[in-house]
Amino acid sequence: MVMEINSSELKRVQLFEVAGRVDSTNASELGAAMDRAADEGRNYIVLDLGGVEYMSSAGLREMVRVLKRVKRSGGDLRIANPSERVREVLELAGLDTIFEIYSTQVEAVGSF
Amino acid sequence: MADVKCLDIEARLERVRDACDFVVACAETTEMDERAVYHCQMAVDEALTNIIEHGFGFEGDDSTIEVCCERDGNRFIITLIDESPAFNPLEHEAPDPDEPLDSREPGGWGIYFIRRLMNEVTYQRQDGKNQLTLVKEIPAGVESVPSGASEADPVFPVRRLGDGAAVVSPTGRLDSNSSPDLERLLNMLLEEGQHWLFIDMSDVTYIASSGLKILVSAWRRAQDQNGDVLLSGLQPRITEIFEMVGFDMLFRIFPTLEAALAAHSKSP
Repeated sequence: MVMEINSSELKRVQLFEVAGRVDSTNASELGAAMDRAADEGRNYIVLDLGGVEYMSSAGLREMVRVLKRVKRSGGDLRIANPSERVREVLELAGLDTIFEIYSTQVEAVGSF
Repeated sequence: MADVKCLDIEARLERVRDACDFVVACAETTEMDERAVYHCQMAVDEALTNIIEHGFGFEGDDSTIEVCCERDGNRFIITLIDESPAFNPLEHEAPDPDEPLDSREPGGWGIYFIRRLMNEVTYQRQDGKNQLTLVKEIPAGVESVPSGASEADPVFPVRRLGDGAAVVSPTGRLDSNSSPDLERLLNMLLEEGQHWLFIDMSDVTYIASSGLKILVSAWRRAQDQNGDVLLSGLQPRITEIFEMVGFDMLFRIFPTLEAALAAHSKSP
């Protein structure tokens, strides 16, 4: 399955629901989608990874880049619903201490 | 004993995915669990991406990379051979996962993951080619099941209990070979109106994602008809897989088939 991104503008939060496979061929697309929200000043971002079956370090790279960017503007990028595999990779990279990770989308959106 | 399978890909990022699929398919023929297979996929992805980005500088369209998989005892060995200028990814600095965000460079994770996900990583330059070898140890503890076992007798034992309940007792490995048999069987029972399916897992030694998917889809269909899929007798390795994917929250799981049947007969 290729990557799908579904972006929705909630009251305070820009929600991205991602599905499929995030790798070096498409991670920049994900980053660019989040950049567009941040460009409009929407710096509270939730990335719902529930549908992501596979993510390589290219995806992590984009997430870290956007996190740094929105933090500079007083925002945050929070992760919802990562699969056990993706969570393991986040932990291996030490990113579980840098990202707030929630097990559900509702919790992540409500955390802002 | 080594049966080597190889795939040649053009040195382009778009082809990395095919190599991943190839490695996953090879890895799934071993008893490696889904987690270990995922690790192999990710290590190969990271390694190939590194070779294409740094070895070929994205200009490797006319070159190929050879990806080979073989099993040697309890070792699953992946070898990547390419003709880019000498490039030893292992010499490059890996990021420190404890580093605070502000001082972090966004990249450089590839080799870090390769090292963490695989048991051995070696590089050598030979005959003008780079050769990167990745080894994943196949966890011991489960006897290798002859692959013919599930194919020879595809139909698992079924016991119909009446009142829309049936016991199914799959055996051996529920992988992409045998899962379709289980799927057909469960679908047949559901269509017959058996909406209470007791799956006795005590003789199941391994379950792949294909097997998990079939259990979930049967569970959904049973729930739609106000029934349920109840599992029992999971071996410790299977329990671990269920917990890993969060299925222990989804299914009602009992230590024994008797306990599952008893729980059902008590409910209204």
